[in-house]
Amino acid sequence: MNLVSQILAVTAMNLRSIPQRLGNSLVIVVGIAGVVAVLISVLAMSLGFRTTINGDARVDRAIVLSRGATAESESSLSRENVAAVMNAAGIRHDAQDRPIISAELILVAPVARKRDNSDVNITLRGVGAQYFAIRTELKLVAGRMFHAGKQELLVGSSAREQFAGLEIGNQVRLQDGDWTVVGTFAGANGSRESEVIADAQTVMSAYKLDAVSSVSVLLDSESSFSGLKDALAEDPTLSVDVRTEPEYLATASSTVNRMLRIVAYVIGSIMALGALFGALNSMHSAVAARTVEMATLRAIGFSSTAVAAAVLIEALLLALAGAAAGVAIAYAAFNGTTISTLGGAVWDSQLVYSLNITPPLVVIAILIACTLGLMGGIFPAIRAARSNVANALHET
Amino acid sequence: MHRLWACTSREIGMKFLPLVWSGLWRRPARSVLTGLCIVIAFLLLGLLDGVNAGFAKAIADAHRDLLVTNTRVRGGGQMPISAMATIQSIPGVKEVAPRAYFMGSYREPAAKNTVAAIATQPELFFRLRPALIVAKGGLDAMRATRAGMLATPALLEYFGWKIGDTITVRSQILKTDGSSDWTFTLVGTFDTAKEPSRAYFGIINYSYFDEYRVENRGTAETFYLRIADPSKAVATAAAVDRIFANSSHETRTRSDQERAEYQAKQMGDVAFFTNSIMGAVLFTLAFLTGNTLRQSLQERTPEFAILKALGYTDLGILSLAYTEALLLFMPPAALGLALAYLVAPLAKEDIGAIVVSPAVTLAGLLCAALLALIGASLPALRLSRMSIVASLGKR
Repeated sequence: MNLVSQILAVTAMNLRSIPQRLGNSLVIVVGIAGVVAVLISVLAMSLGFRTTINGDARVDRAIVLSRGATAESESSLSRENVAAVMNAAGIRHDAQDRPIISAELILVAPVARKRDNSDVNITLRGVGAQYFAIRTELKLVAGRMFHAGKQELLVGSSAREQFAGLEIGNQVRLQDGDWTVVGTFAGANGSRESEVIADAQTVMSAYKLDAVSSVSVLLDSESSFSGLKDALAEDPTLSVDVRTEPEYLATASSTVNRMLRIVAYVIGSIMALGALFGALNSMHSAVAARTVEMATLRAIGFSSTAVAAAVLIEALLLALAGAAAGVAIAYAAFNGTTISTLGGAVWDSQLVYSLNITPPLVVIAILIACTLGLMGGIFPAIRAARSNVANALHET
Repeated sequence: MHRLWACTSREIGMKFLPLVWSGLWRRPARSVLTGLCIVIAFLLLGLLDGVNAGFAKAIADAHRDLLVTNTRVRGGGQMPISAMATIQSIPGVKEVAPRAYFMGSYREPAAKNTVAAIATQPELFFRLRPALIVAKGGLDAMRATRAGMLATPALLEYFGWKIGDTITVRSQILKTDGSSDWTFTLVGTFDTAKEPSRAYFGIINYSYFDEYRVENRGTAETFYLRIADPSKAVATAAAVDRIFANSSHETRTRSDQERAEYQAKQMGDVAFFTNSIMGAVLFTLAFLTGNTLRQSLQERTPEFAILKALGYTDLGILSLAYTEALLLFMPPAALGLALAYLVAPLAKEDIGAIVVSPAVTLAGLLCAALLALIGASLPALRLSRMSIVASLGKR
């Protein structure tokens, strides 16, 4: 018998005996299922958060902030600044030859979260008339556009689902009285759907503000970015930084995102360590209980490599079963769930995102399970292979 | 029965602990690995429960007699300072302090050299914000120097300032003389009571700030209140909000405690999250250790049969099994919780306060004891009820 068929034979024999020592084998399955379920749920949260923030970043969109600011919330641009940016080179123009830009400012709107009825803030964004021309991924899906000068709001579809009182026709109490919801927009994967928007000029006059936070522009093409950057740098009246959208999103890293990732990895690795001890324990006793069996196999000619390999394979298979169970639990419990936490454009405004158990997460789960299974199986496997046949048989 | 018990306690009893001990180390690898699992599990449980306790503590520490009035719509119209007198006149209100916000930059680049300060009446303010402690002499100095500023030690260190320095802060808040450079004299320090040297901000006199600013003159963003009777917090808060109802600056007044709860909720549902993970950890651990205990006790069926044949009572067997389980569980659980206590401060910066308090430790230890007893119960009961003859025969 060659090595492969020996390994297969021993593995098959081991697997057939699992029902007789079910409790012990289940320890590996349950332990790894627990680790995998927790880890990929937290990772799904962190991933959902990141994909939503990075959303529909486009290289031919750029954002202008005041110099030194890394986030919209730290930036302030005067009306003169906006006018200067508008005339800079490299910006795409529409059919009427108007530059496609949107001067935006961010504030917060107090709302109630539907799930627990708690008071939270969401981002209120004052935008220019060309907002939808820049963000082509966003479409008005119900109602109509707001009229400039009127206190009217458009609501992102995620925000509408997650928070109360944001249906078309509802009044939202903001500065200077009630603002009416006149439409909803959707279509992006990004953070903008967690926001409500209104005409920037109307917001500025209601809040008695004289500056915007940022200017978003649509570029002629990806390559015209450097032209715009130079033009803005040369303008002596301006003290601004301009970044492409992907660049901006990378610098505006959120503390919530960092926290989620840290929690995922810290909790995940502590749990993994625990599961490793569990797997070791379980494979160790699986081998210990079958000392005689394995010695017999070796006495009748099976190689010690085959015996060891069979132990490893068994550990791997049990670990994979655990991974499958863990993924199934996480999938059943969380897949598609939409939640909101801190993370909007203003420091205390909410970001709505969903948890998706994606294929990459499943791959991570399988990799972790295999690693744990292998590490848990290797020492018992070596022990099984090394034990002295005569002594082991004697134990009867 | 009486004779038997006497025999157990006198002769066998002396051997009781050594017997448990040797049972525990019958398969050292298994006991050590199980112990390590328990250490890890309780490290995690301690940390997660500590997160919950951290939030709960923040809520409990909040002062129930302190209220905070903010404008309902942030960034909107501010409250007139004259309202202070009206608030003061509400029955049950003892003290009121205003707050306006000053921000500017000490040098270029502005984004990295921000100076933020609270403009208030310092004496009242420190009484109403017990989380902040002013250094000795600071209040007198602020009274003596209108353009004075109190700063946290961290802020002083960041800019290399010393007490007595005169500093100029460029702000977007315009001054009546047309400039936007504000000059202050550093007259003292204050710090947060809980986490010294972590806060970067200053305190200035409201009267000075308000006299020289152009916009929003005579307004405040926030009022801090102390009320006589904490149980009337809700009614008093409603009374304050009624003053501003239907104005351009409607307010929302919350007790300190409500604010802490609100902040916890803003984080997302922390308790749900931590509880789910704790549940998963506990379930996994119960399964794993239950299996170990079952295996270890079952393996020794013949030995227990011999003990029984020697005169051990059913109770004796049960207590042997339980003692062994407790001995397997408690030291690693305590070690895990101790680790959690040591590790918790490391997470402060990213996660916030994790408080591995005596209550958390006690809950953890109780949990460990419960797991040990439940895990040992089934196999132990089976052992105590076994037939001696049949079990001896298994050998």
